[in-house]
Amino acid sequence: MSTTTLSTRATVVPKGAKPAPEKKRGNRLLIWVFLAPTVIGLGIFTFIPIIGSIVLAFFRWDIITAPEFVGVDNFVQLAANPTVRVSFLNTIGFVIVAVTLQLAVALGLAVLVQSKMPNWLRTFFRSALFFPLILSAASVSLVMAYLFNQEFGLVNQVLGWFGVAKIGWLTTGFGAKVVVLLVYVWQNFGFTFLLFIGGVAAIPKEVYEASSIDGATGWRQFRQITIPLISPTMLVASVMAIIGALQIFDQPYVLTRGGPGDETRTAVMVIYESAFQQLEFGLASAIGIVLTILIMLVTAVQFQLSKRFVFYG
Amino acid sequence: MVELSRRAMIALLGLGAIGTAVSWPRLTGGDIPGRGDDALTVALFGTAQDAAARQALVEGFQRKHPGIAVRIVAIQGQDWSNYFAKILTMVAAGTPPDVVTVATEGTQLFASRMAHPIDEYVQRDGDELKEYFDDVNPALVEAFMYKGNLFQLPDNFNAPNVFYNTGALERAGLERPRDDWTVDDFFQVSRAMKKSADGNFLPYFWNNRLWGGVVPWLYVNDTSFLTEEKAPGGDWLWNRFYPNEKPRGGGPLWENADALNERTIESFEVLQQMVSEGLAANPAQGGGNELVSLFSTGKVGMTPAGGFWVQGLNDAGVANDEYDVSFFPKMRSQRHQFGAGGYAIMETSPRKDEAWEWLKYCISDEGLRIAHPRPDSSIPRRSINDELYGAGMGPKHWQVFYDTLDKFPESGPMPAPPQQAAVESALIKNVVTTITNGQGGVRRGLETMQRDLELALKGR
Repeated sequence: MSTTTLSTRATVVPKGAKPAPEKKRGNRLLIWVFLAPTVIGLGIFTFIPIIGSIVLAFFRWDIITAPEFVGVDNFVQLAANPTVRVSFLNTIGFVIVAVTLQLAVALGLAVLVQSKMPNWLRTFFRSALFFPLILSAASVSLVMAYLFNQEFGLVNQVLGWFGVAKIGWLTTGFGAKVVVLLVYVWQNFGFTFLLFIGGVAAIPKEVYEASSIDGATGWRQFRQITIPLISPTMLVASVMAIIGALQIFDQPYVLTRGGPGDETRTAVMVIYESAFQQLEFGLASAIGIVLTILIMLVTAVQFQLSKRFVFYG
Repeated sequence: MVELSRRAMIALLGLGAIGTAVSWPRLTGGDIPGRGDDALTVALFGTAQDAAARQALVEGFQRKHPGIAVRIVAIQGQDWSNYFAKILTMVAAGTPPDVVTVATEGTQLFASRMAHPIDEYVQRDGDELKEYFDDVNPALVEAFMYKGNLFQLPDNFNAPNVFYNTGALERAGLERPRDDWTVDDFFQVSRAMKKSADGNFLPYFWNNRLWGGVVPWLYVNDTSFLTEEKAPGGDWLWNRFYPNEKPRGGGPLWENADALNERTIESFEVLQQMVSEGLAANPAQGGGNELVSLFSTGKVGMTPAGGFWVQGLNDAGVANDEYDVSFFPKMRSQRHQFGAGGYAIMETSPRKDEAWEWLKYCISDEGLRIAHPRPDSSIPRRSINDELYGAGMGPKHWQVFYDTLDKFPESGPMPAPPQQAAVESALIKNVVTTITNGQGGVRRGLETMQRDLELALKGR
């Protein structure tokens, strides 16, 4: 093995020989030098705030006056608060539907795009389907709010041509949920789609050819070859999709502000409202901790289940 | 594997240290102009352009006070609560401004926690301020009192009036509504407008928000969704500056939820009927940015707006004879709501005397003229307000803007206790469900609103 050295006292280390302790130290130091920016950044901007948030969950603090220790009162408050309960239920319901849709749409499109078609068309579809992800969620939601406006929105105007009465997209519980869901999935399936593209592309063609000789058709190939062979990708995609969906904020905040009533209020919205509207930073931290625990639990369950359902070839 | 000698390692670390030192001003924000200067810091709710537009105000102020440097900090936000949150963050970070612009929405929040009362300053400079108070309706001043102390001097205000499309009214064969028109008249006008229109037309468009949402309909029915009382105190101000006024008290107090009183239910039933008949929009959430285009293209017959809209419509190319303005229709009373704005001095400020001079300058004749060269907000000083709106850009009945206060002295600020943001959320989130589930849904919706308001107002 050749080695590059910047040392003025450079020596070629024979293969199999142990490096001198001095060099070992130098290497270790070098590793830490390169890791330092990330470690310091994570420490200052991630770990210290996490610890601060855990501590804050046991205090009552409004930013202005001194924090007051309240023990588990914030957790009692959040358990008793109907809005918090509803927002968590909304979030869980949203995750189930949104993630299912996101995975189904992304996988379906990935298989379609990877099927026989000219390369330029494949490239076009990849770019076009990934494009919504690079847009700002707030901007997209603002535009969508105009499109789905009950009185003057384009969607109702188009439906009106077919004799459909005006639908209160953002002013009825069901309509608002549908719009938030559609906008979220449309904007977020691009990343999942790219993951699946990679997964599908990695499946050897010979496997499909062999199955064709045995008489397997498209659907059976999809069910018995594609799905098992991309199951590791599906695990990663579903973990990431669930973590993302549990943290949904932008779309419902801009489109409906959680309304009508609490129909589209989500856990992260309640964290934001508790902190920056009600100045209950302790309560917001407590809700944040509960949400974090929920995310960790769901992820742990997914990894446990993966032992049974994921095929690592 | 790359190996580094100790010397190279030290050199690398040295380079890193030099790099950090060179970029330190950027890393710490120390390179921001004015940061760390000994200047009076004024935070305003707006963009960098808004801050630049205040430069003339700063220059005018410094002509009078050459020794006081002023730095304007623009704070952007989606709404007032967003702005307050950012001010709070500045306080938490140890860099609080000396002066902040505060609207009615935040007056009591700031007054209860962060603002410095200006009673002593007002009494000390009373002779100088007399002409200001003589020119300003007392309701605006009272709105900035909290528990007997005065915290701000109003430098702008807006009351929601009914802006109507003159073309839509003429098309319906109707005259301008009388000043004392009733809710029944409002329904008749709406129905006639709708009947005479073709295509996509809505007689009344409104947004679900605290200003200009449901509150005007509650106020004209002499009710609200919170109890309203007057705090004691404030005589020091009323006796001296408004001796002919019946003393008003020490500012409004909104301490209890009151969404289930019969009058509130009645007002919501009126709105429910409007929406169910297709006379009013199912109110969307938000600030109504889309309104100008809808109104100017004749798709909307009437909408609640204030003096600020005159400039907005003008900018959109709407001629001032294409629309006009009227009072809100009468139910039990014709009380209107308003929102006002002004500067508040932060309790933490070490420059309170300089800050007071800034406040005084901003409400002076010169200061107000510099700050409002165009009709972009109703002005608390009648004299300037009349000049601004009567100069040809305002609608035919522009006097309505100030008459809202003068003709209806019971008009008051929107309900904004210290917990305003939580209260506003509790109101807004329940409006749509209250008015879109039939007559029977009104009480159910208000029961939920009452519950949410109680939660918002409760002190832990």
